[in-house]
Order: sequence, then structure tokens, then C-alpha cells
Amino acid sequence: MNPEQLTIEQVQEILLKEKYVCDRALATVVYLSLIMGKPLLLEGEAGVGKTEIAKVLAKVLDAKLIRLQCYEGLDSNTALYEWNYPKQMLRIKLEEVEHGDKEKVETEIFTQEYLIKRPLLEAIQTDGAGPPVLLIDEIDRADMEFEAFLLEVLSDFQITIPELGTLTAKHRPYVFLTSNRTREIHDALKRRCLYHWIEYPTFEKEYEIITTKFPEVESKMARQICAFMQKVREMNFYKRPGVAETLDWASALIALNRKNLDDKTVVETMGCVFKYREDLHHLREQMEGRQLNLDALLRASPEMVS
Amino acid sequence: MEVTQETVAAAVNSVASARGKGTLPNLMAFARALKQLGVKVSLSQVLDASRSADLVDIAEKSDFRAVLRSNLILQKEDFPTFDMLFDRFWREQSYERVPMETMDIQGTPADSHAQEGGDEEGGLEEAAVESIPKEDLQLENLDEFAVPTYSPQELMNRKDFSEMGVEESRAIARAILLIATKIATQISRRKKIGRKGNTVDPRWTMRRSMKYGGEIIDLVHRKKRIKKTRVVLLCDVSGSMDCYSRFLIQFMYGLQNELWGVETFVFSTSLSRITHLIRTKDIGNALEKISGSILGWSGGTNIGRSLHTFNRNFAPSMVTHRTVVVIISDGWDRGDVSLLEREMQDIKRRCKKIIWLNPLLASENYEPLCKGMQAALPYLDLFLSVHNVNSLVSLGRTLQKMVA
Repeated sequence: MNPEQLTIEQVQEILLKEKYVCDRALATVVYLSLIMGKPLLLEGEAGVGKTEIAKVLAKVLDAKLIRLQCYEGLDSNTALYEWNYPKQMLRIKLEEVEHGDKEKVETEIFTQEYLIKRPLLEAIQTDGAGPPVLLIDEIDRADMEFEAFLLEVLSDFQITIPELGTLTAKHRPYVFLTSNRTREIHDALKRRCLYHWIEYPTFEKEYEIITTKFPEVESKMARQICAFMQKVREMNFYKRPGVAETLDWASALIALNRKNLDDKTVVETMGCVFKYREDLHHLREQMEGRQLNLDALLRASPEMVS
Repeated sequence: MEVTQETVAAAVNSVASARGKGTLPNLMAFARALKQLGVKVSLSQVLDASRSADLVDIAEKSDFRAVLRSNLILQKEDFPTFDMLFDRFWREQSYERVPMETMDIQGTPADSHAQEGGDEEGGLEEAAVESIPKEDLQLENLDEFAVPTYSPQELMNRKDFSEMGVEESRAIARAILLIATKIATQISRRKKIGRKGNTVDPRWTMRRSMKYGGEIIDLVHRKKRIKKTRVVLLCDVSGSMDCYSRFLIQFMYGLQNELWGVETFVFSTSLSRITHLIRTKDIGNALEKISGSILGWSGGTNIGRSLHTFNRNFAPSMVTHRTVVVIISDGWDRGDVSLLEREMQDIKRRCKKIIWLNPLLASENYEPLCKGMQAALPYLDLFLSVHNVNSLVSLGRTLQKMVA
């Protein structure tokens, strides 16, 4: 599919086909990012589908997905390229035995053959027919040095290797960056990107997500799940659950063949939603004290026509 | 800077003369108005926004909004400002029909009308705020406090920092620098190359050996680097801390500008993030910005509630196992002590260390008897005094020992 000919509606549609429910604003920025070739920086709470959208896009565009997971201490050797030194060493030793030409060896061991491509170089040098999707995940975990270095790559889409010269992108990759906001990303990097904040979904959107992912789920239970999730996100939990938790939970309930949500079921399956002992404890307290009442939640939730 | 309907209207008015025909002039004017409201926008962003606007049907207002927002706004906190400005800026002419081609250059009649409308609306809104019970206001604050809210029940007044001299602050600045480096020094996982170290760096060993024809003569090692921790600073600016406010500002400003990765908050009855306000080299300007935007200065104290806001909205992303949380407060709390205790426990679980600096600790017969301070004590890693330059220096030493 040629992204240049898409419209906003089509972006929304093709994502939905791959079961990614996205609102119009998100579809608009994704569309812009594809057309303008500008990286898209996605921020939002954990589990709202930041990483997922890049994966799904790669799938629908039939593009190669290249993922760079950031972590502290990530450096250019792991992100960009590295010389294959054992192989170089071996070559030198071989030449030594055969009394080869020193000058020749020196130039030959610094060629593409001895180069190990890491994600960023791979994104630039990819062989496929079209541009790849480059996902730089959790950029906030990498350190400042890496950010600065990324700046250079993302603005020119070229990489300079001293021994080889400058390598320029054959196809400019579609770049997606995600951040959980454990720290601010530097303004210079942000300015090179489009920015979008993904909110927790509304009741209606979450309902749509569940029913899209699990068409077999009963409408009533989907409503119960959504109403419950919406409520607990407002409450005071240590870790607020995201959409990823909602889907885990829904799939657990389906696997258990539940058609209806009651207090007992909730308590039994809560491990899908809350991952801290204190949160589980707090939830049990709230349910016993009737502050969290499933029937009342269901009654208050909007009717959905599927 | 506080963003209200009035300031937005004023910003729109002031750029009215710059508006013209076509997308770009209007966008430039829009960006200028944004700047006036305290949102930084670069020219390249405006150009990209203009390019993007050509790619969508700008008659579709929500799309147009998404386009401008994704190009011009770089942090979620600025969304409310953007939305207010967007609504006012693009509504003056009948937007839906003829988007930008017919923007009227003079704009005077329309603008003066907008001005009136703005005043009226602002007035209404204020009246509406007054009629909302206090509790509701607080709930709102929790979710959306990037825009400072107006709360009539609490003692709010603006503090004038203009009398503060910069020259007397040299000694303080030096001490702060010392403290800053101590708080922030930690071993990094990132390594740099060196002659000594634990592990051999094959890549560089190889490179260096080239000059000997591939024979390895020198081993290149890697050693661990010093790495900076993140610091979250929570400053009490309530009335009881008034006499220290000058120092507080210095401290916040100094720390933030000496270190990378400092997040600064002030609290009294509610909490405000001011990191973006003091991220500048110009202290005078920074002070002006802060005093212009913090309404709760010198009000009452509700530490528990402020920490709750912090834990709910910021801590999950800002505080990690290598974050040092520094709280500066006298501990006089008029809120719920059990809430305070719960929230302290929460912070403690997330962070590396909690340091509480209390200016009252220095006075001879002070004991941390006030309920708030007592509730917090068990969760502190360090409980120290800050009241003058000497105490700052000793704080620096303590921290040095702690890190070593």
C-alpha cells in the first residue's frame, strides 16, 4: 500500500482492520507523519497502545518493522553499527601467516563485510522495496548522549562511518518514538517530531476496542469491564491499569468462559489488572465496602449498540 | 504565566495586525500569540505546521486542530492553553465556510468585538468558579492543574520578587553547586574507555592494534562512568515558609540550572510544576515568571494533598529507583495527617532517597513535634536543616559522605 495516497479516513480504516481502534486526532497525526516523513513522538501512560500502533502500521503498510528498545547505557555501538572485530582479527592473523599486504588488509577489514548493522543503520540501509517502520521505543530510558546522537540521525537520515564514509537512506524510514515520560525529552529532539499524547480511552472507545479484539464477548460483559476499568482509573491505585490490562483481563474472562461479571469473578481474576499487592488489597477493601459496586457501575454506564 | 480567557483574548488582539491572507501569515500570528502565552514555538515548527495544513482539509476544524497541535505543541501540559487560543483565534471569522483566505487584515471591528466578548466570558467564568463548592474545585485541580485555578476560599496572594538582589547570592550559589554535584553523583552503567578498568574493550583494542599490524600490544579497558541521578524538588511556599522564600527560589533555581534532569514543584494548598518556568539562564526573568504564575504563594499548607497530587500525576513517570526526592518544608500541615503518611510511604517506595530540609530545625528549641513532620519522619533518609549558608555547606558534606 502506498502511504502517500492515503487519506485520514483510510488510515483509520486500515488500522481498524488490524484491530487497532484509533480516534480521529491520532489518525490525523499518523497520516501527517507518513506523508511529511516527519517522526512522530507518542507519549502517554503505560499500556495505552503507543508501541502497538507502530507495529500495526508496519503490518498494514507491509513494511519491515525495525525496533530499537532504549535502555540506560544504550550507546552508538548497540544502536548504530559495530565492526565485527573477531572476524577482523581472524583476517589479520590469516594474512600474517600468508605474509599478505599490510596496506591491503587495513583497507579491506573496514568494508561492509566486516560491519555489523544495528537497528538505526539497518533502518537506513534496508534492502526492501519500500521504507521500513523504525520504532524507537521508550526513548526516555536512554540517556542524553543518545538523544543528541539520535538528533543527527533523524534530521538527515544519514550516518557517517569514518572508515566508510557517509551512508544515506535509500528510503526514508517512517519513524515512531514512544516515551513514558520518566523524564522530559530534549526540546531539540521534540521539535523534529510531531507530537501526540494518547489518553486513556473513553468508555465508548474502550468498549469498541474490546469488541473489536474479541468479537465473541457478550455486550453486557464488555460494558461491565469498561465501566469497571473507567472507575478504577479514577480511583487511588498505585499503578493505574491501561488498555493492555483491559485486554488481558477480557481474554482471561473469555478463556474462563464467563458471561457475566460478579464480585467473586472480579476478585479471582484481578491479577490481570493489578500487579501490586497493595493495589489488590485496596481493591478488595473497596469491593467489600461497596465503594466499588459492579451493579451500580453497570447501571450508570451508557447503553452500547453493537 | 497564568492563562485565562482575558490573557488569551489579549494575545489574539495583539497579533491581529500581523494576520493576513493565506495560511502562513495566520499561522505565524498564531505562533506569536502562543509565545505570548508562554508556549515556545520555533519557526521550523510553524513552517511544518503550514505544510501539514495543506495536506488536510482545513475546513474540518477538528483535523485542523490536530494538525496544528501535533506540530506546535511539544508537551501535554500546554494542551489547555493551545485549545483556548485555538478556539478564540480561529473563531472570529466564520471559520467553517471560508477558512483562511478571507481573513481581514484590518480586523479591527471583529477584534474589538472579540475583546468585549472576552471580558464578558471571563467575568462569567469567574462567577461560575465562585459558585462551585470547594471540594469540586479540588477534584478539578487534581486532574488539570497545569492551568492554575482560581480558588477564592484560600488565601492567595502574589509575591513580588523584584526586590531580590542577585549579588548577595554568590555564597549561596557556590554552596548549592556543591550540594548539587553531591546529590547527583552516581555510578553510571555507561562505560568509557580508559587504561585501567574491569573489562577489556575489544573494539578499541582492535583499533589501537592496527598500527602494530594487528598485533595486540595495548589492552584498552572500559571503566564505569559517573552518572547523574535525577532530582525531584518539592518546595513548600506556604505562609509559614515566607521568610525563607528568597532562599527557596535561589535553591530551586540553582539546583535546576546546575543539574540536568531536575524537576521542580512548589506547593502550598495545591501543587504546581514550575520546571519549565525556571529553565532559563536569566534569574530575574525566571522570578518574574514564577511570581506571575503561582497563585498559592504564602497561602496555607496541605502537604498531604499536594503529595497526593504529585504521586498521582507525576511520580509514576518521574520517580524511579535512582531519583532523589528533596522536600523543603517546615512540616506545618493543616491537612489530613494520615493522608500525608500514606503519600510519604508511596514516594518512599518509588524513589532512591528522600531528603527533607527543614529551615526550622536550626532553632534551638525546635523539635519535630508538629503532626505533619512526625508522620513524615519514619520515611526520611535524611532530615537536615537549611537556614543559612553554613547549614548549606554542612548539607553538602553530609551528602558527600552519603554518596561515598
